[in-house]
Amino acid sequence: MDSNQTTTTTSSSSDLSHRKRKKKSPPSPPPPSLQKWRSEKQQQIYSTKLVQALRELRISQTPSSPSNPRNGRAVREVADRALAVAARGKTLWSRAILSKAVKLKFRKHKRQRITAPSALTHPVIATGSIRSKKQRGATVMRIKAKGLPAVQRKVKVLSRLVPGCRKQTLPVVLEETTDYIAAMEMQIRAMTALLSAVTSPTEHEEEGQTHVLG
Amino acid sequence: MSSRRSRSSRQTGASMISEDQINDLVLQLHRLLPELGNNNRRSGKVSASKVLQETCTYIRNLNKEVDDLSERLSQLLESTDSAQAALIRSLLM
Repeated sequence: MDSNQTTTTTSSSSDLSHRKRKKKSPPSPPPPSLQKWRSEKQQQIYSTKLVQALRELRISQTPSSPSNPRNGRAVREVADRALAVAARGKTLWSRAILSKAVKLKFRKHKRQRITAPSALTHPVIATGSIRSKKQRGATVMRIKAKGLPAVQRKVKVLSRLVPGCRKQTLPVVLEETTDYIAAMEMQIRAMTALLSAVTSPTEHEEEGQTHVLG
Repeated sequence: MSSRRSRSSRQTGASMISEDQINDLVLQLHRLLPELGNNNRRSGKVSASKVLQETCTYIRNLNKEVDDLSERLSQLLESTDSAQAALIRSLLM
């Protein structure tokens, strides 16, 4: 009887502690899409794509020309496109970046044919989903939950900052924003590593330095 | 077309997005932001307006950083082929 009591007390106390532990359950882990941007492997994949794209980008063939302000922009676009490809077409912002690049190509080659389907044949999936979202999605204004004008204004500004989110509903904008931020952080890490690997290759000839690029 | 609609049908059905979902998203966003001075704030209440404001600022900062980095990279590429050779060398090793 005594032993039972002790066991019950211990079990009850452990139950209590279990209950306490359950109440203090940690917040849900970040969704897998965000963890993807933080993985080492993803950064290496992106770095490789970036270097490949940069090699194809021939900047200022003549060394005599002074530093061109446009070239920084060109590199940025290359980096963004590589990032969008790394996203594997699952997010709005990545598709928007890619369709921007394709639209420019079509405008250069075919000035007469500006029909929408021809311009968007590349991101085929994007066409359907973006159109369907335009038909159905209530604009940010109509969400009654966050009806405060201040919040609405900020969401609008935010939607303009994230590519491809100008006419999206509030939850979509928030989702795209989280993914966009995680992706950009990875982009910054990769580009910084790339720069440091190239600007000081002689200092660290060990594997530690080159390991950065995989 | 119908397949595309059904894929995004979860948004038709959920066009009345619940406040909870929005709050979850805002919290998730809040966690991503750099935790400057957030240690003082209780994890219970997060002002949506503040989170959005900080998000905009943070995205602008990130954009600026990427622009700076691309500028440096472009200057690197503009310099003679030695930079490209070093690139290739560091990749091959």
